[in-house]
Amino acid sequence: MQRNNFLLFSAALAAACLFSLAAGPAGWSNADIILNLRLPRTLAALAVGAGLGLAGALFQGVLKNPLSDPYILGTSSGATAAAVFCFLAGIERTSPVFFLAVFAGAFGATFLSYWLARLAGRLSDAALVLAGVAVSAFLSALVMLTLTSSGARSFSLFYFVLGGLYSVQPGVLLVSALLIAGAAALAMARWRALDAMALGSENAYHLGISPERERVLFFALACASTSAAVAIGGTIGFVGLMTPHIVRRFTGPSARGLVPAAALGGAAMLAAADAAGRSLFSPAEIPAGVVMALAGAPFFMWLLWKSSRGRN
Amino acid sequence: MPALRVSGLNFSYGAGPLIKDLSFELRPGDFMCVLGPNGSGKSTLLKLLTGFIKAASGSVKLGGEEAGSIEPERLARLAAYVASETSTPYDFSVRETVLLGRTARAGFWRGYSGEDGAAAALALEETGITALADRSINTLSTGERQLVFIAQALAQEASLLLLDEPTSHLDLKYKSGIMGLLSRLAGRGLAVAAVLHEPALARLGCNKGLLFSGGGAYTAGTAAEILAPGRLAAAYGVSPDSPLLPK
Repeated sequence: MQRNNFLLFSAALAAACLFSLAAGPAGWSNADIILNLRLPRTLAALAVGAGLGLAGALFQGVLKNPLSDPYILGTSSGATAAAVFCFLAGIERTSPVFFLAVFAGAFGATFLSYWLARLAGRLSDAALVLAGVAVSAFLSALVMLTLTSSGARSFSLFYFVLGGLYSVQPGVLLVSALLIAGAAALAMARWRALDAMALGSENAYHLGISPERERVLFFALACASTSAAVAIGGTIGFVGLMTPHIVRRFTGPSARGLVPAAALGGAAMLAAADAAGRSLFSPAEIPAGVVMALAGAPFFMWLLWKSSRGRN
Repeated sequence: MPALRVSGLNFSYGAGPLIKDLSFELRPGDFMCVLGPNGSGKSTLLKLLTGFIKAASGSVKLGGEEAGSIEPERLARLAAYVASETSTPYDFSVRETVLLGRTARAGFWRGYSGEDGAAAALALEETGITALADRSINTLSTGERQLVFIAQALAQEASLLLLDEPTSHLDLKYKSGIMGLLSRLAGRGLAVAAVLHEPALARLGCNKGLLFSGGGAYTAGTAAEILAPGRLAAAYGVSPDSPLLPK
């Protein structure tokens, strides 16, 4: 990443953190609130945003598809579904089994979307989005079915599925942050392979890369960071889609700058969105997932419009 | 030692053979045109040569080694391939794209070395696109973009260069420019094989030819033998006095 860009993203991140720490009726007046309520929540927003931004950048590169992100490909829904089943089965959120199950859900759903799109013939952008939407819708319906029929605990679970950062457990936050940092480090180490994949798997193969191997690797990294994000905040859409598009304008398309910038940018964006959600309509609180969807859905439409024009 | 030796190669997509018992070889300095009607297996052949598609049977040897058992990273040092069209939604610069040709030599973790930079600069110069180095590949014309991917292949410094219809969609100036570039590269000792859409282009420097005529039938020989009007007419299914055939 160029020095200027690095400074720019750090400044954006710092501004988002300050906003997130200050947002609320009490302002800066109560240190207790800032330290015990807003700080953990800010850290959670940063981790979730970084994980989703990173996953979006990896998916968009390895699939050569600017419309992909963990939400659209069904990765988030797979992770959420697995998390909900874990909660109902009484598996602790901090246990390794929980993280493994959530990762398996994310990975399974992603490969299902990918496989369905491949079945349709050529792996076009549209086929992948359609397959992802189908997988997401099915998994979300499954989650809703489970929630409505399970009774007692469903209210807090419902909020989890909606996507938000209400109850942050320090243990979950720590494990998730480590997972995301690890995935980011591995992805940055292989930036060149990701760039080659962004030129298409045929080109990548002839540049000396095994496309199948890189696809599995980058899917795994993107799914690991998505599931870490979901473990903290449930299903939050559009961070993964929007962040890479925004930061690409500053860093260019090469993964060398894009991958770290997408993680930093995603962290800043979600921290700001969450702070806005809990301060703008105070005392009512808008979940971060809803804020992101409000901003993200129009962005996605604009992107669809733009890419359909680019084709012809 | 030939740069490429193909023997007894067979391949089909299901119904009937596409490539049947194909054998030929390519030596350093050879410039071979691959001709034939649509769907006769020209493009498939190139992908079989690099192992991107696996053959049903037969042998492809690159620099003496069986292609199927070569790791992708080593393969990229032996053979470079230029697809008929490579597109990406992302605005990679020309320089970044050409530098990616160094992937197999640079490894994954570090940045590019001075040697990588020099190889890319040379490839840009040879293809005449140094002035475009900082442009996004998506802002270039089709011909300019084709040159970028030829430059990327040159940056690989492989001894075999395979090109799938490098001149399709291009105007006459680019067609003759690219053919001239390829014959210069062959003159420098590279082995070059190019799938061509128009037989007449083979007159611009090819010394060898491979002509598919459908159903796996083929003729391999010198370019002059392949370009005999009677032979081309039979392969393409046109009249021998058609003005489309090279005179």
